Amino acid sequence: MALDPLRLQDEKPPRAAAPGKKWVRVTKAVNGIDTEVWEEVADDAGGPQWAPRESMRLVSREVPRVDGPEKVTGRAVFTHDVRLPGMVYARVLRSRVPAAKVTLDLEPARKIQGVLAAVSLVDGDIDGEVRWLGRPIAAVAATTPELAEDGVRAIVAKYAELGFAVTEARAAADNAPKVNNRGNVIALSKNTDTKEVDEALAGSPVRVKGTWKIPVQHHASLESHGIVVDYRGGEEATVYASTQGTFTIPGDAAGRLGLKPNQVTAVVEHMGGGFGSKFGMGIEGEAACLLAKELQRPVHLLLDRASEFHAAGNRSGGEHELEAGVSPNGKIVAFKARVTRHGGVGRGSGHPLPYIYARDNAVFVEERCIHTNMDSSRAMRGPGHPQASFSMEGLMDECAYAVGMDLLEFRRINLPENKRELYMRQLEKCAELIGWRAHPHKNRPDLSDAEAKVGIGFAIARWGGGGNGQCKVEVRIAQDGSVEVLSGTQDLGTGTRTYCTTIVAEELGLELGQVRARIGRSSFGAANASGGSTTSPSLAPSVKHAAHNARLALFEKVAPLLGAKASELEVRPGEIRVSASPSRRIAWKDACASLGPNGLSAQGEWQAHLASSDIGGAQAAKVRVDTLTGEVKVLEMVAVQDCGLVLNLLAARSQLQGGMVQSLSYGLFEERVVDPDLGLFLNANFEDYKIAGAQDIPAMKAVFEDDPRGVIGMSEAAIIPGHSAIANAIHNACGVRLREMPLTADKILMGLAARKKG
Amino acid sequence: MSDPKRPHDDASRGTSLSRRAFFRGAGVVAAGSLVGEAAHAAAHASSLEPVRIEGSVELELEINGARQKVTVEPRTTLLNTLRNHCSPPLTGTKSVCERGSCGACTVHLDGKPVYSCMTLAVDAVGRKVTTIEGLATQGELTELQSAFCAHDGSMCGFCTPGFVMSISACLERNPAASLEEIQRSCSGNLCRCGTYPQVFEAALAAGRAMRAKGGK
Repeated sequence: MALDPLRLQDEKPPRAAAPGKKWVRVTKAVNGIDTEVWEEVADDAGGPQWAPRESMRLVSREVPRVDGPEKVTGRAVFTHDVRLPGMVYARVLRSRVPAAKVTLDLEPARKIQGVLAAVSLVDGDIDGEVRWLGRPIAAVAATTPELAEDGVRAIVAKYAELGFAVTEARAAADNAPKVNNRGNVIALSKNTDTKEVDEALAGSPVRVKGTWKIPVQHHASLESHGIVVDYRGGEEATVYASTQGTFTIPGDAAGRLGLKPNQVTAVVEHMGGGFGSKFGMGIEGEAACLLAKELQRPVHLLLDRASEFHAAGNRSGGEHELEAGVSPNGKIVAFKARVTRHGGVGRGSGHPLPYIYARDNAVFVEERCIHTNMDSSRAMRGPGHPQASFSMEGLMDECAYAVGMDLLEFRRINLPENKRELYMRQLEKCAELIGWRAHPHKNRPDLSDAEAKVGIGFAIARWGGGGNGQCKVEVRIAQDGSVEVLSGTQDLGTGTRTYCTTIVAEELGLELGQVRARIGRSSFGAANASGGSTTSPSLAPSVKHAAHNARLALFEKVAPLLGAKASELEVRPGEIRVSASPSRRIAWKDACASLGPNGLSAQGEWQAHLASSDIGGAQAAKVRVDTLTGEVKVLEMVAVQDCGLVLNLLAARSQLQGGMVQSLSYGLFEERVVDPDLGLFLNANFEDYKIAGAQDIPAMKAVFEDDPRGVIGMSEAAIIPGHSAIANAIHNACGVRLREMPLTADKILMGLAARKKG
Repeated sequence: MSDPKRPHDDASRGTSLSRRAFFRGAGVVAAGSLVGEAAHAAAHASSLEPVRIEGSVELELEINGARQKVTVEPRTTLLNTLRNHCSPPLTGTKSVCERGSCGACTVHLDGKPVYSCMTLAVDAVGRKVTTIEGLATQGELTELQSAFCAHDGSMCGFCTPGFVMSISACLERNPAASLEEIQRSCSGNLCRCGTYPQVFEAALAAGRAMRAKGGK
């Protein structure tokens, strides 16, 4: 059965649009996973429009982020940095057993001088029963973090072990202990009929098959999950949280504090990385609320690094058994996959195979998940896609080698028709940037006797990146000419605060310093959580709308002063003037002075036509493999990406290159290691769980294509293909095909030894 | 270096009795800043004998050019002292791994970069501590800080103070540092957003600007 095209363009909206409304297809992030849905929005033809790119002054230029000076001087206040009068510090105790009935004696902790409160986190729903390693089971608040840690150590936890499986092999074995009452191995696909694909495979002259293994990766945000609950009794609380969703906090916190959601304000001034792991308050947030409620003092709770690894999410691992049948002219005529997701007590993200290729012939994909007594996976940047990319891009290269065809030509043949031009243009550009033409051994490994061998590999990515209508933005113009843009949204380091500022400044003819963005507070206008690259396509059009409305409202006030109609006015840098008669003008300050002491305020909502969705990108990597030591050095990475209107070329480049770095790190270094017998997470720290450092970084080039569409979120696409390109480059260098990440020296040496024997 | 946390067997060593007794009896109010000096003397004594310091001690630290008294437990790291015990709190220095593997807590001790999570506050007595808050003078950013802004050396910004401190020390030694030297200088710092390429650009640009100015 062939798969649907990548976008369901012909799918109809649920009913006819109401008067003045229209239907648009939008991407909504559900826990970080982008899901396409229809949404009815105002039919805003004739509303705000992005100016032609060449006439833009601040938007789509290289603008240093407005909070840069705060970040380089240490003044930026992250949740970890919040300090309040009377504040106490809290830490959590983790279960050291993966599955157990836990009983706690908190008294020894409470006896320590300086420890103010200790609470159990296993009462209620779970009734003392812990089902995953590292689950927080108690929390302690004390006057210093050191004393809180003393308190955690003093708690006596007794574990009646229940039998556990922390590896998929153990969990899938006969008579394995039950991870939960749903069963350990869950079939996720309804269709199990392989007849068509088996016949097509049988009829294929060339067949390629293999099993790809993908480790569990950790988000490893440098600011661990943390929360400060400022509740001193009474009917109001302020909750500072390191979160990707300001508005995911107040409801839950209110529930725990016994308040109403509108009595809780969430604050996210700066946050130190999330990558999909920080939605909602989590068990640690609940713990902080319990302690604050008991003590009626501000409670500062952060996870230590080991807890962050154990109990704050991960990217699901998996195993992909793939088989492809290829015709002599290089067409994949049959594709069969058995996908097993490893998501701990969760199900893991879907690994969308056969990813972008081979969709229009016999395709059969069967998915299942195996549960273990480990922390649930969470969304992680591009959920499911980097996993699917790794096996599929490897399979593509293997098929191309098997039929003796050029790697790029083989991709061209097997790309879907509606995406062929896009991806081939991007792949060709990558090839040019990385020196593919001059590469001496394009479609075979370097078989010379050289010790150091250089190879090049390619891979591609897709993502939705559309927006939705959850944002409400306000722009305020004060009588003194100062301007504020307000939204409850959060800046994860993507530059949200900066584009809020540039969009408004550009619309009103102001300089950056004249506009102040105030974000990260739930008392400001609603905003979506930052998942699935949906923030900028949702927020930027809403900011633009608010700024547009503010400009029109100001024109109404100023028009009588200029003896013109509002519709005859235009904004120029620092002034408002009559378009047809430029000498009739008024300086910005004077225009604003005409406002009353209340200034003016304008609201903005999502404008579907200012956003778009559906992006593609390609990346290539050049590596050097030392065949004596097995060491891989990535020499160069290049990326070509489309993403509609780039809001800030400087920040976007950082984000694309950052994705490439994360992808390199995923490919070369990252892997959670657990001991199946002892039920221990062996590398829950930055010495043994390595992420890319300064000396691992290759030369990098990131190119954005000219793309006339509106704003599209790009972040996820950046992280999807890099590690696949690196794996392919390793094969192109030395002939060793690694089907298991991380792509480490030992595996390369084993592969080289096997090649010699074979 | 002696380890003030390690218990000391009183009976086996007679020589340090007076010092030990002094620390044991040292009330915060009674002993004042003298305790800090004594703690420093103890920590850096030529004798390798371990010394036990208990309770809270009052230390006088020199942070960003100003003297500041803090009351901490002897086990308190310089990192936690800066973040939790200084007034105002110096939270620019970040706590990420608390075991010397990420560099987010990097500060300068007598001009040299150190991990403040691996340094006890008592060991910083008598030494000049510089934190990220102390780099810019009279609010004017250093060349490196300016270059970090111009070249987008921060994304989430949580690792930024540590990188700025590590690379600052490198450029102070050698404004003509090569890319490899800059990479080595911050090889003890981790960034998860992947800002490294922009950090390197910023560092090289700052070095050029420093050389053009003929110094710092």
